[in-house]
Formats: sequence, C-alpha cells, structure tokens
Amino acid sequence: MATSDVAGLILPFGTVQGGVRRSLRDYGSMVRWHLAGLRMWLVLLGSVQALSGVGFVLGISLFFSRIPTSAALFVSTGVPVINLVMVGLVFGPQLVASQRTAGSYDYLRTLPISRAVTAAAWYTVCLISGIPAVIVSLVVAQLRYDLPLHISLMIVPAVLLTCLTGTMLGYALGHAVGNPMVTQLISQMLVFIIFGFAPILYPIQQMPGWLADLNWWFPFRHMAVVMRAALTSSADPAVPTAYAVIGVWAVVAAALAGWSLGRRP
Amino acid sequence: MSTAPDEWTFHVDHLVKHFGTVAANDGITLQVEPGEVYGLLGPNGAGKSTLVKQTIGLLKPTSGRITLGRWDLVENPDAARQLCSYLPQAQMPIDSFRLREAIELAGRIRGAEIGRVRRRTDELIEALELGEWSRTLGARLSGGVKRLVGFCMATISPGHLVILDEPTNDVDPLRRRLLWNEIRALGAHGCSVLLVTHNVLEAEKAVDRLALIASGRLVAEGTPSSLKEADRAQLRLQVMLVPGAETPAQPGWAGPPVRVGNNLVTTIAESDAPSGITWAAGLIDSGVAEEYALGASTLEDAYIRLTSDIPVDGLHGDE
Repeated sequence: MATSDVAGLILPFGTVQGGVRRSLRDYGSMVRWHLAGLRMWLVLLGSVQALSGVGFVLGISLFFSRIPTSAALFVSTGVPVINLVMVGLVFGPQLVASQRTAGSYDYLRTLPISRAVTAAAWYTVCLISGIPAVIVSLVVAQLRYDLPLHISLMIVPAVLLTCLTGTMLGYALGHAVGNPMVTQLISQMLVFIIFGFAPILYPIQQMPGWLADLNWWFPFRHMAVVMRAALTSSADPAVPTAYAVIGVWAVVAAALAGWSLGRRP
Repeated sequence: MSTAPDEWTFHVDHLVKHFGTVAANDGITLQVEPGEVYGLLGPNGAGKSTLVKQTIGLLKPTSGRITLGRWDLVENPDAARQLCSYLPQAQMPIDSFRLREAIELAGRIRGAEIGRVRRRTDELIEALELGEWSRTLGARLSGGVKRLVGFCMATISPGHLVILDEPTNDVDPLRRRLLWNEIRALGAHGCSVLLVTHNVLEAEKAVDRLALIASGRLVAEGTPSSLKEADRAQLRLQVMLVPGAETPAQPGWAGPPVRVGNNLVTTIAESDAPSGITWAAGLIDSGVAEEYALGASTLEDAYIRLTSDIPVDGLHGDE
C-alpha cells in the first residue's frame, strides 16, 4: 500500500488559503457534496416538481368546458415560478431543520468553505432540480394548449433571479430560525401563501385591492411578471420594477443568511 | 508570514463563556503542543464541548483568548475552520454517500489535492479495516462504522489542531484499538489532538496529557501518571452489589465510596488489603454483593477524587 504524505495534507505552514481559484474549487466540491447528499432525493424531487407543474397545467382545463387560451397561457407561464422556488424556498429550510435535529448542522458549519461559496453551491443545486421541471411543464402546456409562447433571451435573467431569490429566502429562513419546528411551520405556511394568496397562477385583478397592494411588497407577484414577460416576449411596463423588487429581496435574504451563518452565540 | 512547525502551539487563555447566568467555561487556561494528544475529561455538562465549539468558531467566548500559533481563532473564525479539523459528537450527514466517496469529498472540501486524498483514503480504510464497506451507502452502515467514517472525514486532511469529540462512541473494541493507533499517528505527524471524552479508562492509555474539567473549571491537568500520583500505594476495591441492594456501610479505613448503578468503588491503602478482602467477601456471604475485584488504582480513581463534589452518574457512558 502506498503511504500517503500526511504532513503534505496538513495545510502549508502559516497559510490560510483563499482567492478565486480556491473558491472555484470549493464551489465544485460543495456542488458535488450537495448532489451526492441528495442523490436519494434529487430524482424524486425533480419528478415531484415536474408532476406538480404538469398537474397545474393540465388541471386548470378541468375548470372550463372550453378553456380560454388566455387562461391556459396565464397558468402555464406562472407554473415555472413555482417550479423554480419550491426546492430552495421549501425543501431547503426543511433540509437545514433536519440537519439541526440530527446534529450534523454543526459539522457543516465548520467546513472550511466561505459562506458565499456554500450559498452559491446550494443555489446551483436548486437550479439543477428546478429547470427540468420548468421545461417539462412548458412542453406539456404547449402540446396541450398550443400556446402563443415566444421565449426571449430575458428568460435567462428571469429564471436565474427567480430561483436565486427563492433559494436565498429559504436559505435565510433555514439558517436564521434556530428552532427546526418553527422552520418547518414557516416553510409550510409559505407553500400555503404561494399557492393561495400570491398572484402567480391567476391575475392580480382577481384579488381584493388590499391583498394586491400587500403583494406588491413581496417577490412572488414580481417573479410571475418577469417570467410571463420572458415567455411571451411581451413588453410589460411592470418588468423593470419587478426585477428591482426581486433583486432587493435576493440581496436582503442573502445578507440575512450570511449574517445567520456567521453568527456565533 | 510563515509559522514554523514548532510554533503551532494551541493556547486557551482565561476562557470564559456564560449562557445567561451559567458559566459553562469559567476561566479555563490550557496549552497543547504540536504532536501532543491532549485529553479533555469531565462529566456531562462540564463544559468540554463548549470549549471545543468556541475553538472551531461555533460559539463566541464571553472573554478570554484562543490561539493556534500566531492565529487568534476567536477573531478569525474563517482561519479556525481551515486550521482545525473537527469530529463532532453527532454522526456525520453521510446517509446518501458511499463510504469512500464521503471521505474523499471531505478531503477535497478541506482543500487537499486529489492524488494525496486518494492515497490517504486508501491508508485510512485499510488501517481501520473498513474495506468491505468501501462502496456501501452511509444509510446502510452501522453506527460504529459511521463513526469511523466521520473520523476519516475529519482527519483525511488534518488541520494543525484536530478536535475529536467522543471519537470511539459506538465503535467495537477491536476497531477502537485501531482508532487509537490512528489518533496516536496524528500526533506523530505533528498535529495537536484535542480529544474530548468521558471514557476515563480509554483516555488513560491514549493521551499524553489531560485536563479534568468540572463545572466549567479546569480542576487538574497533567500526565495520567502525575494525576494518579496521589493514589499511589492505594488500591481500588470494586464491589458488584446485588441489584436493588442498599449501599453497605463503609469501613473507616476505606476512602469515600462511589456507586454507579450496582457498582460500588472505593480506594483502600495497600496495608488494608486483607481487611478489604474480608469485608468484600463478607458482603457476598451475606447476599449483599455478587463479586468483588481488588486492583491497582486507575485514572478513574483520580477522576473520582478530583471531581467528587459533582455527580458521577454516567461516568463510563456517553455524554
């Protein structure tokens, strides 16, 4: 057996490593860590995501004897938002809660990886699990309704930012709330709010005025605006504001998550 | 700026950590030299894990300093995570990982080069006799094997300070011996090893020096031999009582008794050995005890003597 050079594996004397190269390598290692850690779940998660997306897309037709194209288009262009935020926003915090309960959370916090790299790796995993579901949902919608989809290049920032904000919100929730039970409760509430009280799958005009006004301050309505505009190449004047609101939420959530991860009681 | 190998001394200086009004660490000062295996012993709630968590950046001290070489670990938690490696008391999150994959990935995350990581993984798997599970998923491993995998993950690319919190929990006796060999090898390679345990008998054989911590304070420090010095010329008399039996009255020539479950332990002077045997045999004859043993005093006796004002239940158990 080859004898390893243990001394060579101890960090070079006097150096604490950093820099872009180290960060890129750490990022790759952490993505592999997450993908391996979720290997028993990732396919299932992706499948459930795709199935729920397809369920919304096909299920809406059951409300109508003959579904208007506008209704089919509205639901089909809202479903990708749900596909993109659910893993980061709901599954993410529940994963952190289970790590806290199992006691492995402390180990993960002591890994020599920067908080930004750790967050970026988790964001990548959320993208990997969400994008296939988006594609499946849109393909099924197109086949079923023959929709007037005109996907513009703005789909790239819309997908990236929507997923980022959902992931960072979940990341902040998972790490800032110390009690795993409270984390689980809040993430369940978020599902309830997104499906029932955020104008993602139905027009905001259907809501009472006060609830529509309240929704302006939260990111979900705006995610639907940018996604819909990118999928239909429409020139919605609300898009710039929507990007700004989603971006602010992403920054605030990332800052909160970073603060929570670095906090030492 | 570089730090010479012999300058990687680990210092804890007047460390205080309060949780509300409770002092979990109350002015602890200690020092671990490179290459030294240093035991932290103490009963449940003594403050051992609190000290470790402040070292690795999970908790912030109320006051005091923790340094490793020239690095202030309290001021630089990022540096602490690179310079120290840590095996927590809880199991590692490896249910979805294959055994070998978990160890190699931990090495990569610690920043080590892949060729070296693979060679060292081979070495650890062989040294701890884990080869038969090399491709087994963590979810299918026993608790003891998982513990060993955790040890490998923590030491695949060891920091200058390796912190092991109860490393032998759940591990079978044969592999415990192999594990202790690997812990000693870390010291031989120049790592300082901070070993948290309350398994006094195992620690006695494995550590170079140790600290006894009780109620957040360091109550004794030294080599196992030096801590046993006061018990020299003393014998340990251990009596296994019949379950449910009342603790018998202690003869005047015996030291303060400690009862854990049905196990009654006391110390006696060598000259009182015949009296001790007669007394213990009498307990068996009267149906109070089932058996007894008389032997040389151990570190456990020193531990009991030094921490006698605190509860001792769970002395051998897991924290």
